[in-house]
Amino acid sequence: MKFKTVLTALALAGCLGATMPASAQDKPASLGLGIFTFTSGPAAAYGMPGKNAADLMIDQINAAGGIGGVKIAPTYVDEAQGAQGVIAEYRRLAGEPNNQVMVAALSSANCLALAPLAEQLQVPTVGWNCDTHQLLQDGKNKYMFRPNGNTVPEFVAYAAYLLAKKPNVKTIAIINPDYAFGHDAATIFKAALHALKPDVQVVAELYPKLGSPNYQTEISRLTTARPDVVFSNLWGADLENFVRQAEPRGLFTSSQVILALGETILQRVPLPDGVIVGVLGDGWWMSPDAAANPETKKFVGAYKAKFGEYPVFPSIKMANTILYVKAAYESAMKKNGGKWPSRAELAEAMRGSTVTTLTGKTQTRPDGDGVVDQIVGVTVKSPDHSFPVIGDMVRYNGDALMPKEGQDPIAWISTLMPAFAASLPKPGSYK
Amino acid sequence: MNDIIPLVLDTLSSAALIFFAAVGLTLVFNVLRVLNVAHGSFYSIGAYVAASMCFFIASKHLNPYLSFLALLVSAVLVAVVLGPLIERTLIRWTYGKSEAVQILITFGLFLILEDAQRMVFGVQSFYEDTPMRLMGSTNIGGIVYLNYQLFLIAMAVVVLFGLRFLIKYSRLGRLVAAVVADREMAQSIGVDTGRIFVLAFSLGVFLAAFGGALAVPTSGVAPGLGADTMVLAFAVAAIGGLGQIEGAALAALIVALARVLAIYFEPSLDAVAPYAAMLVVLLVRPYGLFGTMTARRI
Repeated sequence: MKFKTVLTALALAGCLGATMPASAQDKPASLGLGIFTFTSGPAAAYGMPGKNAADLMIDQINAAGGIGGVKIAPTYVDEAQGAQGVIAEYRRLAGEPNNQVMVAALSSANCLALAPLAEQLQVPTVGWNCDTHQLLQDGKNKYMFRPNGNTVPEFVAYAAYLLAKKPNVKTIAIINPDYAFGHDAATIFKAALHALKPDVQVVAELYPKLGSPNYQTEISRLTTARPDVVFSNLWGADLENFVRQAEPRGLFTSSQVILALGETILQRVPLPDGVIVGVLGDGWWMSPDAAANPETKKFVGAYKAKFGEYPVFPSIKMANTILYVKAAYESAMKKNGGKWPSRAELAEAMRGSTVTTLTGKTQTRPDGDGVVDQIVGVTVKSPDHSFPVIGDMVRYNGDALMPKEGQDPIAWISTLMPAFAASLPKPGSYK
Repeated sequence: MNDIIPLVLDTLSSAALIFFAAVGLTLVFNVLRVLNVAHGSFYSIGAYVAASMCFFIASKHLNPYLSFLALLVSAVLVAVVLGPLIERTLIRWTYGKSEAVQILITFGLFLILEDAQRMVFGVQSFYEDTPMRLMGSTNIGGIVYLNYQLFLIAMAVVVLFGLRFLIKYSRLGRLVAAVVADREMAQSIGVDTGRIFVLAFSLGVFLAAFGGALAVPTSGVAPGLGADTMVLAFAVAAIGGLGQIEGAALAALIVALARVLAIYFEPSLDAVAPYAAMLVVLLVRPYGLFGTMTARRI
């Protein structure tokens, strides 16, 4: 009986040891990094550029000696397996002592599922995409961070840009994917337009199933509604399918189209001039800030050489996230005299940090949410490339487009006034 | 009138694609009495092969109009290679077995084919829209439609009447009808039922693959297409009555109309509309619109 009790206690201690955060410790042989993204299915069109960027950035960091002399050893998890599989993989990786930090995830739904787990297992988890504004809304997370923008600044930025570009807009139509990201974006975009120009009417709202291959009926519906503006945050293969079907049917000439994630397909699909596109943050590899940064030039050149195309903004988001993790380790080690930090020390280093990225800066608020600038523009022809690029750009200060900590985002948006839009920089001001 | 035209055209063009997805399934069930859960995989394999052939034509700078031929040839290729192989090695062992066994075996086949597609074609989406772009567009009632959408409607009509002609007036069709009516009697008068089964199954594979190939120019192809197609095909087959070709055509129209009406008037019901239509039909007619408890006809 006594022997059994001892065995049970030993087993329990082993389990706890595997999942509890380690205190400051010796440097490990390698730094395990769980990286969650879509590597299969329609969403891989967005997820694979992220994985490619992670591969490249980790190679570059490792070639330069790693983080504090420790090489990064990534493990990739395919989010296409669904939330249950993602959670199981997260638990498994968190149980491995050399995995001190996770880069998770792409899908907002998976981020929402993993955030409580990050707190429970006390694993610093950095959302490399995770757009939903609901993720850190309660301000109670200690281990979940998102060094990117969220749906609030991202879609308020589009409303502001649209009104600066087309101040007389009267009617809009929306076609977004039928899940939280699509509905949240529509809510925020409509709320912002309603606050900044109350007479704008929504004449059609469509939410096709995520992964729909055929949009012909939706395109007919949008055309019959004859809106001044069609707004969409379709992404991945859905976006590519929609554009390929809508462009020959004249939707881009009958309405001003906004493709919130349009930058991701510039190199793949012949988008016409004048489509409003952006990068859900500041991750445009050709932005003036990016062009002035030699590290960005080096990364872009290496990416093009390795993968045969230029990085898209999911690539930049991922690369910036890896840099964020590296900066957090370096900061934590500096604080504790060069010792390898514990998970708790690493999380503490992330909170309140300001990190220089490939395309600007990311600030982490005390609630773990990131503040980054928002770049929006329109598609224009480029003399240097066979595909359209972003012109007539504006770079909005990220802080100006975000509610304060603890403030209800939609309530904050409803307080915006037309004067707010007038105070923002104008299209074409970011050169 | 201008409000009706888009509803009609959108319904017809959607129905055409849905019909292609379902008609092969219903034909195979009618002749072989096998519920083929792997049917959607033949649809997606047809799409992948068609896209690959069109890529080849484009990469070799061949006449782009050859891509139309590629759509047909890819479906024939898939049917000739996979049809006899799968029918002889797997499907024939399910004849006369319970539906549960058939579903388990063909579901296993579906999983194998889905993974095989990932191994051969990768996990990225494929797009090849040359045929769609070559055909241009037409303004009808103030809305621009792709001529390729009209072409799909015409192809669905051709396939529907072609199948009717094949079944009613060709020797093969009469042999198939004899096997459907009474398998043992057909065997006793010298009909090679094994051969008929191979041909019927291969025709079902061809119809699925042809549907997938025709969908490529507007929709592309990505992993998961087979599963989505399979679910829709079963809904259509259930509405029309399993084994009924005209039923599949009418059911495709009903499903398409339900979806189009939802998108136009109540978009939140878009995803459930086809299955709500199925539910209503099955509540009124449990064996489908054209189905009966005992009769077997095509």
